[in-house]
This record gives sequence, C-alpha cells and structure tokens, in this order.
Amino acid sequence: MIGAGIAIGVAGLGTGIAQGQVGAAAVGATAEDPKMFGKGMILMVLPETIVILGFVVAFLIMNA
Amino acid sequence: MPRMLRPEEMTRAVVIGSIDSLDVTIECLYELGVLHLIDFTEQDEDFKLGQPLGKASDASQKLLKLRSMIRSLGIEGHKPGGQLRTSDISKKIEQALVTLDLNTTSKAEARQRIQSLMREKESEISALGPFRQFGIPVEDYEGYDSISVFAGLCKSDPERDLRSKVPGSDLIKLQRKADVVVAAFVRNEDKVDAVRVLGEHGYQETKLPKLKGQPDDIIRRNEAVLLDLEKDLKRVEADLESIRRQFADLIVASEEYLTIEVMKAETPLRIATSDNSFVIDGWMPSSKFGELQQALGSLCGGLAFVERIPTVKGDEPPVKLKNPKPVKPFEFFIDLVSTPKYDEIDPTLVLFITFPLFFGFMIGDLGFGLGLMALGGVMRWKLKGSPDLQKLGTIVLAGGLLASLFGLFVFAEAFGVPFHPLEAAPDEHSWEVVANIPLHPLLDKMHDIKEMLAISLVAGWAHLTLGFTIGFVNHYRHNMKHALAKLAWLLILLGLFIEIMTVAGDATTTSSFVNSTVLAWVPDMTANIAGIVASIPAVLIILIGVIGLPLTEGAMALSEVVGLFTNLISYTRLAALAVGKGAMALAFNTMLFPLIFESHNIGIAVVGALALFVTQMFFVFFLGALSAGIQAVRLNYVEFFLKFFEGGGKEFSPLRYARKHTVGDK
Repeated sequence: MIGAGIAIGVAGLGTGIAQGQVGAAAVGATAEDPKMFGKGMILMVLPETIVILGFVVAFLIMNA
Repeated sequence: MPRMLRPEEMTRAVVIGSIDSLDVTIECLYELGVLHLIDFTEQDEDFKLGQPLGKASDASQKLLKLRSMIRSLGIEGHKPGGQLRTSDISKKIEQALVTLDLNTTSKAEARQRIQSLMREKESEISALGPFRQFGIPVEDYEGYDSISVFAGLCKSDPERDLRSKVPGSDLIKLQRKADVVVAAFVRNEDKVDAVRVLGEHGYQETKLPKLKGQPDDIIRRNEAVLLDLEKDLKRVEADLESIRRQFADLIVASEEYLTIEVMKAETPLRIATSDNSFVIDGWMPSSKFGELQQALGSLCGGLAFVERIPTVKGDEPPVKLKNPKPVKPFEFFIDLVSTPKYDEIDPTLVLFITFPLFFGFMIGDLGFGLGLMALGGVMRWKLKGSPDLQKLGTIVLAGGLLASLFGLFVFAEAFGVPFHPLEAAPDEHSWEVVANIPLHPLLDKMHDIKEMLAISLVAGWAHLTLGFTIGFVNHYRHNMKHALAKLAWLLILLGLFIEIMTVAGDATTTSSFVNSTVLAWVPDMTANIAGIVASIPAVLIILIGVIGLPLTEGAMALSEVVGLFTNLISYTRLAALAVGKGAMALAFNTMLFPLIFESHNIGIAVVGALALFVTQMFFVFFLGALSAGIQAVRLNYVEFFLKFFEGGGKEFSPLRYARKHTVGDK
C-alpha cells in the first residue's frame, strides 16, 4: 500500500513541477500569439505521462 | 478517389480581361467568393500593379467621415433593427452626410469643449479644497524673493520635526482623517532641509492653479459655473441623442457598405494590369470553376474569361478543409494546432470518432453524460454570437452522448450511483430505490481496473497504428524512405503490443479475446527472461523494426523507441481517469447518502444534501469533464498527431465579404 502510494504520489509531484514550468511558459507564449495555444497545450500536457506511469506502477504493486 | 480525407482540391486559375471590364469582374469575384487571390509582385514593362478604381478615393473619404461620426456619436457596436438595401444607401448617403456634418461635428466639438472646461474647473476645486480654511489668497503661495513655499499633503504631521530642524520656518496645517494639509514657508537657504523633513513625512506637492483671490471664493464661483456647464452639456447630449436615434441605423449600414466598396475598389492594387488588360491570378476549388466561368461569361459579355493553368512543382495551394457537416465542428481542434498542408490527410474525421469515444469512456456515466449533452446543446443553439463556442458545444454534445451510452450500457450508473448494487456489496446504495433498470454493468469502475487498463491499451494500439498508417500514406508519394520508416515504427508498435498482450495472457477478458482473435496468428513461443514472460515473435518483430529505423529515418530515431512504449502506456489514462472520476463521485456519495437517508432531521438532510450535491456537481461534473476533455484532446494531439501531422498549410481565404446590416441588389 505504502509503495503504491509513494509511486503515484511522487510521480504526481514530478508532473506538477514540470507542468507548472511548462504551463507558465505556454501561457506567456499564448498571450503573445494566440496561435501558439495548440502547440503550447501539446507541450504543457507532455509531463502528464509521468503520473500515468506512476499510476500503472502503483496498480501493478497493488496487484502483486 | 485520390483526394479522400484530404482538403478540397484546388485549381490554379487566371482571370484575364479587358481593362474596361475590371470593375464588373471584381464585383463578380467578390459576389461568388471562390477565388483565393495571389498577390502580384513581379512588375515589368508591360504589367504593373493596378490603380484603385475611380470610386475608391471618394468612398474612403466618406468612410473616414462616417467612422469619426460613429466615434463622436458613441454608436460603435450599434445593431440596426433591419438590413438596408445598398441602392438606398448610395442614394441617401450624400444628403445624410451633409446634414450630419452640419449637426454632429459642431455638436461633438461643443461637447468636447464643455467637457474639458468642466474638467479644468473640477481640478481647480479639488486642488484648492484642502486650503480653504487657511484663509490665504492663492497668489500668496508663491512669488517671494527670499522665501520658498511648500503647499501640499503629508502622510503624518511634520510640525515638530520642522520646528526643530528648520528653525525660523512657518507652518500652517490642517489635520484630516487620513492626511495633513500643510503650507510651510521656509527661508530659501533652509529649502534643502525642509524638503528632507517633509519627504520623511510623505509630502506630496499640490499644484495650485494660477489664480487670484481666496480659495473659498474661487471654489464657490467654480461650482456655479459647473452647474451652468452641466446644463449646457445635457442640452448638447440631448441634441446628439436625437441625431443618434435618427441616423444610427443608416450610419452603421453605410459604414459596412462603404467598407465593402473600398475593399473592392482597392483590389486592383493586388493584381497585374497593362494599358488595356488585367490578369488576376489565384486558386479556387476545382468544383467551383464552372460556376465562375459561367458568371463571367454572362456578366462581362466576353470581355473577361477564366482559364485553368497547370500547377508547377513547389506550388502550395491554399487549404480549405472538406468535411461532412456533422464532422465540421471538429475542425476546431485542427485550427488550434495548425492548418494541414494541401497534400496531407486531414485528421478531422478521426478526431470526430476518437474524441467522443475517449471522452465518453472516461466520463462513462449516464447522469453526467446527459448533463453534458444539455450543456453542449445550450452552447450549440443559444450562443449565436460566437462560432467557436458553438463548435465546442457540438463537440461537448457528441462527447456527452457517448458518455451517456457508456454510462447506460457499459458502466450502468448515473451520477456515480450504480443502477444495481454489486454482488460483492449488496447493501450499497443504488438506483434500485427509484426504479429497477434492466441493465447490468459490463465493467465496474472500482473493481475491474485491470480490464479497463487492457481496453485502454488496445485502444492505444489501434489509435497509434492508425497514426503511423496515415503517416505512411502521407509520405508514400513524396518520400519512400520516410514512408518505410513509418512501416518500421508500425512493426515495433505491433511487437510491443504482442508482448504486452502475452504478459497479460488470460488475466483479463480483453487480453485473452485479443490473443485469440486479432493476434491468433502469433506463434505461442515464450521465454522467461529475468522473471518476465517474453514472446519470441514479439521480440523478433521489434528487432526487425529497430534494424529498419536507422536505414530509413536515421540512427537518432532509435532513441525514440522507448518513447513509443510510453506513448502506448499513455493511453492507460483512459482507465485512470474513469477510475479517478468514479472514485471521486463515490466519495461524495458516501457523504451524501447518510445525510439523506439516516439523518432524522429533515432540515439538516435537505441543506446538507444540497450543499454536497452542488460541490459534487462542481468537482465531478465540471472538473471531470474538463480533465476528460483535455486528456481526450491530448491523446490525439500528442500521441496521435505527432506520428504523421506536419501542418503549416496556408488557409483558403477567398475574395469575399460578409454583409450583416446591408443587402446587395443586382
């Protein structure tokens, strides 16, 4: 249980840090040129994969 | 069917004619709105940029006048009650402009003068106000040879500091609620010290007007003047208001009419003309060629005609996406990223299918789905002013529909409450209290997580395979090497998928179904490497792909193989969000139900239930829908688009105008 918690918790933390920085930059870019929204969003959501990996690992630990 | 799933087919067309028919031709082109003009740039001896049509300068002058009137009358954004005929406007405008010029301009100027005078008097009052009680005439605050005067406001009382540090200074002060009004008379040689002391007390100078007399008298005089000015202003405003009422519709409609006239009249500046002829070069949808040909033939009587010219390599036709009507709103997602290139496959249709599916699976709840459909419907049919939000509304509507279907047939739940209690927990709250719905869940969000993960991975594999296939088709005609690289990626993806399904084996219904159908051809040969079951055919397929990559896309591509694996795993967010949302709804309901059923005080039950219901709606419904929407878009943008989409096409923007307040007549 604790292992699974750490897996998803720390992964979420990592995603949060990465996404915060990318998001701030993306909002800045969009403010300058609204056409950047799509590209900004792609970059913004990239780190989300980390927490998804955390979720899968947590799930595997729970089932093991 | 060479252009299936691709943007509208374009033809390079030139319209050639005698210079006499230029204005009729331009009129005709704008009316049809099918020609995307290519600006003429290469001037030579014979062909030069055209001159604006004769009516241009007159029309722009009138337009300028009208726009300044729109500003002075304050009718920006005025919406006329009906539409005016352009022929009526051109008849009336001459006369109306004279009348308006006579009335509006002088009135607007008078208003401006009155307003600035009022501002002046008001600022005198506010500057002198604090010094009213000192009883010193305004002229006495300046004009001494050996004395400097500081008149202004301090944040705190400077009297004691000033007396001790600048002896011989004279201070008059008035303590007010938030500040102190001061007038300090200081010898010139003490000026620096005084500035410092006052600075420490947050001194701010007040600019006193250059007037004579007691502040009190001046203020009273000004107040009387202000009253008169206000009356004048009201009179002028009333006059302007009656002009506004009489002419606003005409002015706004004329502005539109003249804007269009000027746009048309200035079009020759973008085309090639010689002494006797003109050439208009551009792109148009191939399907509209006949229409233009016919229109020019009948309107210009043989003086102008259109001809197809063959495209040259390197030509980049503008892009007009071509999708059936229900699919159109999903072009919204494409516009957010980039216009596809002319030769690229337009992925709108795929988005039309995958977005609602992904979204519906993640929400998977009849109640929330119906709520979303209602929200989408309102956006689609009630927000006439914003086309973007309307498109989004249609998208939400489609997503909501799929969410309801998933909620009804797959998860069998509404508002996070199951239709029937689970066999494992027969005491659980369910809709059985209300009605016995004859539908049972195929999947339970809290218990069948493994199954949902497997479904997500299968969906991911199918989606990514489609992405690489589109990439292959896109490259097939231009660059065989790049097309083959997509094949190599397809092999690696297949290998990864086989391996994952082999590991999953019979643990889930989905994986055993896939293994026995789609992957039935894969020989059942496994080896146990470091505790992991490895499928030998999968490893071989991956190896072939990995060898193929450096030969086609370059060695750097190898570093992205792991990335492909994360891409595939990334689709498990479908399951993760569905579970997450289910858990959130369950948590709220666990708090909600005891309040309703077990609290014996009806008041507390109702209030508590309402409060919880509202917060639940906010968290689960809006945040859930938002995150599910973003994730469904993301899977398309990141995992899917990056496999093939290049974008950077030029948008098709033909010569045309939109009339809102006017109707043209032939």
